[in-house]
Parts: sequence; C-alpha cells; structure tokens
Amino acid sequence: MALPENKIVRWIDHRLPVFTFLDHELTQYPTPKNLNYWWNFGSLAGIVLTIMIVTGIFLAMQYTPHVDFAFDSVERIMRDVNYGWLMRYVHMNGASFFFVLVYIHLFRGLYYGSYKAPRELLWILGVVILALMMATAFMGYVLPWGQMSFWGATVITNLFSAFPGVGNDIVTWLWGGFAVSNPTLNRFYALHYLLPFVIVAVVGLHLVALHQHGSNNPLGIDHKGPQDSIPFHPYYTIKDMFGLGVFLIVFALFVFYWPNLLADPANYIPANPLQTPPEIVPEWYFLPFYAILRSIPSKLLGVCATFGSILVLFIVPWLDTSKVRSAYFRPVFKWVFWLLVFDCIVLGWVGAHRPEGWFVIIGRIATFYYFLHFLILLPVIGWFEQPLPLPPSISSPVLKKGGRRLAGAAASRRKP
Amino acid sequence: MTRRLMRHAVLAGAALLALGAGLAWAQESSEPRPPKMAWSFTGPFGTFDRAALQRGFQVYNEVCSACHSMNLLSYRDLEGPSALGYSGDEVAAIAATKQVTDGPNDQGAMFQRAGRPADRFAAPFANEESARAANGGALPPDLSIIIKARAGGADYVHAILTGFGDPPKDMKMGAGMNYNAYFPGHQIAMPPPLTDDRVTFADGTKATIDQEARDVTTFLVWASEPTMEERKRTGAKVIIFLLVMTGVLYGAKRRVWSDLHDQDGRDS
Amino acid sequence: MAESAQSQTGGAHAEEGTRRDFLVIAANALMGVGAACAAWPLIKSMNPARDVLAAGAPVDIDISSLQPGQQILVLWRSRPVFIVNRNPDELKQLQTSQDTSLLRDPNSDELQQPPYAKNWHRSIKPEFLVLIGICTHLGCIPEFSPQPGGALGANWLGGYFCPCHGSRYDMSGRVYSGVPAPYNLPVPPHRFVNDTTIRIGENPPDSSWDFGSIVQI
Repeated sequence: MALPENKIVRWIDHRLPVFTFLDHELTQYPTPKNLNYWWNFGSLAGIVLTIMIVTGIFLAMQYTPHVDFAFDSVERIMRDVNYGWLMRYVHMNGASFFFVLVYIHLFRGLYYGSYKAPRELLWILGVVILALMMATAFMGYVLPWGQMSFWGATVITNLFSAFPGVGNDIVTWLWGGFAVSNPTLNRFYALHYLLPFVIVAVVGLHLVALHQHGSNNPLGIDHKGPQDSIPFHPYYTIKDMFGLGVFLIVFALFVFYWPNLLADPANYIPANPLQTPPEIVPEWYFLPFYAILRSIPSKLLGVCATFGSILVLFIVPWLDTSKVRSAYFRPVFKWVFWLLVFDCIVLGWVGAHRPEGWFVIIGRIATFYYFLHFLILLPVIGWFEQPLPLPPSISSPVLKKGGRRLAGAAASRRKP
Repeated sequence: MTRRLMRHAVLAGAALLALGAGLAWAQESSEPRPPKMAWSFTGPFGTFDRAALQRGFQVYNEVCSACHSMNLLSYRDLEGPSALGYSGDEVAAIAATKQVTDGPNDQGAMFQRAGRPADRFAAPFANEESARAANGGALPPDLSIIIKARAGGADYVHAILTGFGDPPKDMKMGAGMNYNAYFPGHQIAMPPPLTDDRVTFADGTKATIDQEARDVTTFLVWASEPTMEERKRTGAKVIIFLLVMTGVLYGAKRRVWSDLHDQDGRDS
Repeated sequence: MAESAQSQTGGAHAEEGTRRDFLVIAANALMGVGAACAAWPLIKSMNPARDVLAAGAPVDIDISSLQPGQQILVLWRSRPVFIVNRNPDELKQLQTSQDTSLLRDPNSDELQQPPYAKNWHRSIKPEFLVLIGICTHLGCIPEFSPQPGGALGANWLGGYFCPCHGSRYDMSGRVYSGVPAPYNLPVPPHRFVNDTTIRIGENPPDSSWDFGSIVQI
C-alpha cells in the first residue's frame, strides 16, 4: 500500500487512518474494467448532492421562512444579494438535474441487474435515498411560497386524509394548523434543511454496501481475478471527472440560458389561499406518481398505489427471478425494460395534463402496466426466459460466434 | 443492448408521444397562442435596449402605475448602465416626484414625504382591499415579476396589451368586462390601457399602441429579472470554460486509459 | 457549482514508470480553477446585499427643534448616532486645561474623526456635535451625562459615562485617561445641508474622507 513518505501524513494516519482509508477505498479500490458511461451517474449524483447542500446553505443565510416574507425574501435573493440569482437558479435547476441523474442511475440498476444478490441492500438503500429526495424536494418547493408551493402542499398533505379513522388527525398534525399555513412552512424549512444530511448518511451506507462486493458491470458477471479489475484511481476518477464536465455543460446551459424552462410560471405568483390556480401540477419529477395517483378513482386506493409504486421498488431483488443479471444476455427482459421506460415517460406526460378525455384511459393503462411489469412480468420472465450464454469472464477474449452481443469485454466497451 | 434496438424503441416511443401530443393539442388549445414577437433580449446574446427600457418605464409611470403596483422594485434599481441607464441624480429626481408613506413621526402619525432612491416604488393603493374597491372587485396584479408569472412571458403580455377589441357577436360579456383576444376566457377586467399618443416619449419616438406596448413589455421583462444580462454574460464565460476543461479532461481520460493493455486493444 | 476536489494523492505520488502527463496536470489545474471560480460567488454572496448598502445611505436629520444642552439619538448604518447641541458653558469648559489634562487623546491625534472634525469641538460647527454612540472599549452605548457633579462625583465635568465598565468621555467625546476605553468616540462623516438639517454619512463637498479608515468603531 503506497502511503506517502510525508511525516505529517504518517502522524495523522497512525492516529486516524484517513489516508489509508482513502487509499484503499478510492485509489486502489478494484473496479471492473469494463464499466461504461452509465456507471458515471452515481458519482455525478453525489456531486450534485454536494452542490445542492452548499448552495442551499448559502441561500438559507438570506431566506426568511415566514408566510409574509418568504416570497419577497426569495426575490430579494434574486435581485439584491450578490450572485443571489446564480445560487437560486443553481439550486432550483440542481433539484431537477439531481432527479434526472438518480432516475438514470436507477434504470441503469434495473437494466444490469445491479439489485441482485449480493447487492440487495445496496439497492434498497438507493430506494431509501430516492424516497428521502422526494420528501426533500417536495418540502423545498413549498419554501418560495408561490401559488404552486402552497397548492401543491395542500393537495399532497390532503392525501393523508385518505387513511381511515386517523387520516384527518394526521393531516392536522402535518399542517400544525387548520390549513397549510405559517407553522407548515416553518417545519418544512427545518426538515428541508435536515433531510439532505440524512441523505448524506444513507449515501455513506450505500457506498459501504457497494464496496463490500464491488461494482456490478455491464456483463453482470462477477470478477474472477485481478485481471478483471483496475484501480479506481486514476481510471475511474478521470472518467468521472470527464463525465462531470459534460454534465456541467448541460447544467450550465439550463442555469444560464433556460433557468425557468422546467419551472411553472404560477409559482412566480405569491401564494393566495383564496384562489386556486387553474392547474395544480407538481414538478416534472413527480409527474409519473401524480398520474398514478389520479388514475385510480378511489382516494385511498390512489394514495396506496402512489406509495405502492415506490414500495414495489424495494422488493425488486426478490421479484426478479432470473439467475442472470445483465439485460445484455436477457433478450426478452431487454424489450420489457424499454417498455417500462416508455411507460414511465407516458405516465409523466399524463401527469402533466388534466385527467380528462384520452388522458384518463391512457393513464390507467400506463399505471396498470407499471405494476404489471414489476409484479407479474419480472417473476414470469425470469422463470421462462432463455438467457444467452454468459462469457466466462470479464476479460475473456471476444467470442467468435453469435455477434457483438456475446463478446466479453468488447461488448461492454461500447460507446454510450 | 444494441444501438439499433435502442433507436427503434426511442423512435417508437417518440411516434406514440407525437400522436398523443396531437390528440392533446386538439383537446386543449382553444386559447389562441400569443404571436411570437422579435425582442432584443431573447436568445443567448440578448440584451436590453436601454432607450426602450426608459420609454417603457415612462409608460408604466404615466399609465400603468395608476392601478398596478411594483412592490419589488426600488427607485435605486433604475440607476446605472446595467439598469435603465439613469444617473444617480436622475433617479433621485424621479423618486422625488413620488409621494411615499413614512412614519410614525414623533406624534405617532404616518405622513407623506417625497420619495428617495432607496424607497420602493410608490404603490397606487395602500392594500389589496382598497385596490379591489377602486376596480370593481378586481385586483390589478403587481407587475414586478409579471413576465415570469405568465406562460408566454413577454409575448403574452404584449398580446394582452394589444389584444383588445370588439367581442364576437355571439359572446356575452360580463358587467364591466372587456374583450381581449389573448386573455384566458377572453374577458378581462382591465379596460384597454393604451392608446396612440397616450404618452409623449422624451426621445421623440412615435407613441403608437404597439410601440407603447413593446416598450412597456421590455421594461417589465427587465423588472422581472434585472440580472438577466449578467446571467447570460456569465453563462457564456462559464460554458466556454467548461468546454475547454471538458476537452482537456477527455484528452486526459484517453491518455490515462491508453496504457491499459488489453487483448482486444480497447482504449476507452 | 462547488466540485469536490480531485483526489490529490493519486496525482501526487508517482506510480512506477508513469510520468506526469501534461494533460493530467492541465486537467487538475483547470478543475482547481473551476472550483475556485465556483466558490467565489458563494463567498461574495455574504457581503452586504444591494438593499443593505442602500439602507446605509446618508440620512438627513432635522435639528431645528434641538435645544442647547439636548441630545438626540438616531440610527445610521444600524449604529446609534448622538447629535448634541452644546450650550456656551459646555463649549467654554471644553477648552480649559481642567478638561484637557484629564484626557488620553486631547488633540484627537488618533484617527477617530474626519479631518474637518480634528479640533477641540470635534465637529464642523462648535455647537453641534455628531458622534457614533458606541464605546470604544467593548461596544456599549454610553449615557449622556452633561450635568457636572452629581452621581458621578464632584469632579465630573459633564460628558458621557459608559455603564458597562465605567469608561468616561468629555462633552466632545474625548476619552479620559485611566478608563478601559482606548480611543475617543468616533465622529461619522457628516455635513450641514442647511442650517437646520444635518446629513449623516456624507462629507462636506471639499472632503473625501473614508469612514472605513478610523481606528475603532
């Protein structure tokens, strides 16, 4: 293990092995050599989490969490605070991009079977992170106290009244009053500041679980020896930094040139409890869940379906019965995966519109298909599918028969 | 997963989405879209026309401010070349023409005094209730951020200002309502605010309705986001830097990975 | 856009045979520059915002009803400012050695006032004194005690007494020797707009003194 000669480094490391730890977990950490660019999204998400926390803290220095001052304090940040507009737009668009990255990261996991043994807990921790992100984003959106902030909060908190018996008490408890009001805003601010640090802790656990067995890879087969792995540094550090550069360019385009493209204009109207906007729409990353909620006529079942759509993710490791991890070698599952992606996009599109006309039936089909995929298709395909033969190892030479898809390392070398 | 397969899936998805979008479109757009105008401030290199900003502020001052507040702006915001281009003295003079409420004084009473640059724009009404009472129950919205608060932004606001006219024969207008081609529902409480030569521009520009509407819209766009030009300028620098940095990182990545000896000669 | 710093250890120690590559060095350098440029606006955002700076603009005070012997307290830049109308007895007292012999800095040598207030009355017009009412010891607001004698002792000539730790100042805000406070009370930039209005925060037209240059608020 290459510990630097530096005396100070050795002195510290002997007492608190930070350097040894970093060397082991970051520098030497054996990583499959065939990872493609879909593996960049985890570290990207971690970086965006850091960006959100840092901008959030500096914004918190200027924001006032009171119903009479919140909207104006955000506008003060935009107009009067030095570089306030920059921090606000980075934070606002960062939330959207955080979800883009995490959704891609999640679908990567689904495609390559990264949730399969022994990585079930790694996957579950990831879903926990997603749930925490959704709570954080929801509460964060309330803070500017625009029309959508207020009415979105009203609609979503009212959902809890669906629970029989205790529902209304729960809602009153959440509100701290008779409606979404100042106590609600204050507690959402406190929790919005807190939860990201809970996310950091769960990300830590997520990384510990990852390092226990190492990363999955596009072939989905375990590494057989040192020839299959390369040290994380410098190979994946530089690749991650390059991916970060590409990401930042796209992010900068939004922040500087289309900062309000993903925003709802109604949230630039100060909250008015006496006037409901014509359309109440959540942020885009909640639209699929919103569609599921509204596709079921019963309030309680709609709520259950919405929560269920996330809960079902927790049990994916056990729903998928296939012995083969990666979709590379699962021809039927591969198609079904892309159908799921399409289904989620359709759900999002449905969620953006009023539940009228065609949208109702399409929404219901899409909701039905979503649960069909996880609860029926995953187990059934796993049982009956005939997977393609797996290559012997990650480093094994290109196989002559069968075409590109059967190759070992070469197959996973594909450009994204 | 081959690229071909992925492409097919995406194309299929896109086709279905387009079909669906067409359906949605047929269902939803009963409202005419505001015509797209050419503005000096749109696009990545857009800037404000300072003369238009000053004319627009004049229109706001002389026409709109009778009913519409702009509570988020202060007179000092108008100063400087990155704002409307007024000098400190000009701004002080503008502020001094307004009466603002201050106090309490030593007797405990509120009083009126001449405005100062640090004051917020003087509001026409003390509170929402008096605004509604003076306008038949309707509340003239605050205009500080109106451009961002309306779908369609500048195009929409301009369309509203120029969209007044006679209602179609079969349309029943509510009491005191005015027909507007672009307002959702086509009935707006605001009477047409602009007429030809309603204001006399100091720089001699002809004050047609369209000119007044364009100028006041330009001013309102600035008011909604005074830092827009700075944002775009900074964006150009950031993106150029990121392009260079990402290019170097790509080169470094290729360099680092090139020394991976592999049987199939992979180098990515 | 704060980026986590690229792991320094990897680039720093030489792996066997790998020589430093220009591209890698350039990449590291650019990322460092990027991180610094990202941190800069965040740090700058903590500086006073434009509205705070505007609120610190000069403020006009009407002194037409300020009687000789009276003091009023106003706020400028969130700080208390004393404006005193001194009567002739107090003015005469200030020039005597009985007063000046007790002082740590009788000639206002320390930079606690603008050049046009570097005199025995520490002001523009002798009657009207403008002081920042913050004790130069640890920041309490001194009490205005213009009456000689009284509870402060028979030797008290009139001035300011700070209740926190007992510092004393004369009727020009000059600090006594032997008290905790080290400097005279500061004089802010000010000028007479007309005979009945003092503008605090602005120098007279012929002066460009920087308030930030004083030794101790």
